[in-house]
Amino acid sequence: MQVQVFAMMKDYFDERFELDMNIKNIIDLSEKLIDINPKSKSLLPACRFAVNNEFIDQNYIFSDNDIIYIIPPSSGG
Amino acid sequence: MISFTSSHHQAVDNFSFISETPLDLCAILSEAHHPEAGAVVLFSGEVRNHSHGKSVSYLDYEAFAPMANKIIAEIIGDANEKWKLNIALCKHRIGKVNICETAVIVITASAHRVEAYEANQYIIDRVKHEAPIWKKEFFSDGSYEWSHNCGCFNLG
Repeated sequence: MQVQVFAMMKDYFDERFELDMNIKNIIDLSEKLIDINPKSKSLLPACRFAVNNEFIDQNYIFSDNDIIYIIPPSSGG
Repeated sequence: MISFTSSHHQAVDNFSFISETPLDLCAILSEAHHPEAGAVVLFSGEVRNHSHGKSVSYLDYEAFAPMANKIIAEIIGDANEKWKLNIALCKHRIGKVNICETAVIVITASAHRVEAYEANQYIIDRVKHEAPIWKKEFFSDGSYEWSHNCGCFNLG
């Protein structure tokens, strides 16, 4: 699966990267991301996750071909 | 024509609410008139020269455009459901926006002013909190910071 991050999450991760380990949902993904960069721990719980331009919740099971977008809290305007 | 009436929701789907180029308020407003509307409200969210007690040089906005467009379209659709609007539009800049320039514009028009005022505030409040758009503040001392609109997280 591929992961794309935005805004302040780019301070912690590459903008786009691949993960091929066994990650089935956003709980697993969050744990993995915190392993990769523990500094993301405070921001991740405030982020929303999306696949195919739709927000997903923890019941969504990832597919290998998914691109998962990690969307930090908005600060537009 | 960039305005939408409540009978043209489908037009919203094909419209980009995100702009890489400066927002020309006068040009946008000049098209935002409707024969049934006695009130036109324009909100311009502009870049101010200070934030958190520091002097700001400019802001840089980033958006996840596909979802920002979709969410802003939903917000405008919801506003059209809640109020009888002749026009409801929103445009948000991305990229570098200088002091006094417009970062976001919302225009609403309705027969009477109450609906236009209320709908305008509803749209900008939701766009700020829900659309995946982020601002990075660049300060005069050379530092920068990702801004956040709410206290729902703390980067420590």
